[in-house]
Amino acid sequence: MGRIQLESVTKSFGDTQVIPPLDLTIEDGEFAVFVGPSGCGKSTLLRLIAGLEDTTSGTVTIDGEDVTQVSPSKRGLAMVFQTYALYPHITVRKNIAFPMRMAGLSGAEQEKRIMAAAESLNLTDYLDRKPGQLSGGQRQRVAIGRAIVRDPKAFLFDEPLSNLDAALRVGMRLEITEMHARMKTTMIYVTHDQVEAMTMANKIVVLQAGVIEQVGSPLDLYRAPRNLFVAGFIGSPKMNLIGGDEAGRREAKTIGIRPEHIDIVESDDGVWQGKVGVAEHLGSDTFFHIHGTGLAETLTVRAAGDVALRHGDTINFKPREDELHRFDEKGMRIA
Amino acid sequence: MSDRRLPRLLQSPAVLLLLIWMMIPLGMTLYFSFIRYVLNNLRRPEWTTPSLSNWRGFGNYEFVLNNKDFLLAIQNSLLIVCSILFLTVILGVLIAVLINRAFPGRGIVRVLLISPFFVMPAVNAVLWINMILDPVLGLQGLAVGGINNLIDTMQTAPLVGGFFSLWPDLEPISFRATQTSAYAVIIMVTWQWTPFAILIFMTSLQSEDQQQKEAAILDGAGAWSQFRFLTLQHLARPIAIVVMIQAIFHLSLYAEIEIVSRGNGNKNLPYLIGEFANNNIGAASATGIFAVILANIVAIFLLRMIGKTLME
Repeated sequence: MGRIQLESVTKSFGDTQVIPPLDLTIEDGEFAVFVGPSGCGKSTLLRLIAGLEDTTSGTVTIDGEDVTQVSPSKRGLAMVFQTYALYPHITVRKNIAFPMRMAGLSGAEQEKRIMAAAESLNLTDYLDRKPGQLSGGQRQRVAIGRAIVRDPKAFLFDEPLSNLDAALRVGMRLEITEMHARMKTTMIYVTHDQVEAMTMANKIVVLQAGVIEQVGSPLDLYRAPRNLFVAGFIGSPKMNLIGGDEAGRREAKTIGIRPEHIDIVESDDGVWQGKVGVAEHLGSDTFFHIHGTGLAETLTVRAAGDVALRHGDTINFKPREDELHRFDEKGMRIA
Repeated sequence: MSDRRLPRLLQSPAVLLLLIWMMIPLGMTLYFSFIRYVLNNLRRPEWTTPSLSNWRGFGNYEFVLNNKDFLLAIQNSLLIVCSILFLTVILGVLIAVLINRAFPGRGIVRVLLISPFFVMPAVNAVLWINMILDPVLGLQGLAVGGINNLIDTMQTAPLVGGFFSLWPDLEPISFRATQTSAYAVIIMVTWQWTPFAILIFMTSLQSEDQQQKEAAILDGAGAWSQFRFLTLQHLARPIAIVVMIQAIFHLSLYAEIEIVSRGNGNKNLPYLIGEFANNNIGAASATGIFAVILANIVAIFLLRMIGKTLME
């Protein structure tokens, strides 16, 4: 079990309120991802749940029990840190055993859980090494192992993949998602990388300046961003946002169209026209950065496969009208 | 091979200089330790100039070994060094951990804590032995006198008077005495060198990984477990450094011993060398060679114990 509920939780450091009153429920077994630009309060929120920071007001409940005043170790949560936070002076085995040793578990039980965790994380060969002798990915697995053996109600991940290189990050992303599918334990994952959020989460919580902008499944957020911030944040490359007459014609202050929802057309009966700037050829896709359209400074257009357009070419393209997003003066979505 | 010749050639002046720097004093000490060489002897004026014709073999060593102060000096050297190391490391760790958190006036407290280190050793010794440890005029004498007065007053008080009249008068300790002068040296040098330990430990504590501590908190480690499993482990290397540097410095203590008791009951090896060197350079040199041997034994032990932590 691990149903985590925040009720009008706030956090202030001195006079600055970093988290205005906030309500959020994370259901048992969910994979929730807090995502937002750096400094948006997502890590603070995670630390409030963990108990590493005290709430200024409001309550945190886990499985219906108020834990706002409960010490971090008694909340039954395990956390994996960005810097792994392994204990450098002791072996991997002792690192994984540490929380069990603190809890006073028997030696045999400790050994059993260590072996189970090491096997599921491919760490069996490294148990007698020290953290300094492991690679980044292995260290992160040890940190996860240390969390698993505690059999927690929920796992908290604080940007666990940020210190890994790109290839490893993709691998670990899969492993953690796989782990969640197998264990079905609640997980809360903090990241600034919207790709991680989109690929791993059942529920994404988009934060900005301590305020929840939108909560929903990855595809909900992709299909129906509630406001301009979410529209710009979710999706890669970013959604094109266009104001002025073109938006006015569609009875909106701003319209948004994703690069993948724009078609390149041969003839010049296309709605929009511009000059190709940088073209990013990825093989499977090509992204064109287009200037001089009179709509916005730069528009991004995705074409499937390798399209033979080069720097400086003129390009005609038009948006798919049914995929357009419309926003009002306050930046909110118009349904 | 040939591409290494140039770097070696370029290094050689420095290496040569260092070798000369070390070899000449050591060689001369060795030489003097095997001949009769005194500064003043009316009956045998030929002994006052160093010469191979005054060869004495191991005579000087024998003389030193049979000297009643020699064993005491070695014992004392070790007692003083080990006690100071023990006390400064423990006090240093405790105080460094204590002031590692934020509190108002932390800057001033830190400066005050470091300041004893900037007092000259001789001044330190004079201050302690005359103003603090003196059994009559020092703080110790005043404190003991005060307590005795208090007890005297309490003895005349109703009800509890009977209880206090069982108490004896306290005697202040004379720290210049044969039996206690080594402790006076230990106390004053500990006071002076604890700041050094604090300084090193404090800098090291500031580089301690806070996320490790948070991980330990979540893992259920209390304050003591955090200290034992994280902080102490983190401090292993700085402790090794503090022990090593202090061992080197305190084997050669001199000023404090001179000022506290003029070596009365409290000679260490350097002090003994100094005494011999008043006239008998041969014996002083032989003692010096013993001191070199002792320092090397200590160094080997230290490297055994500490080297591993430093290499990791």
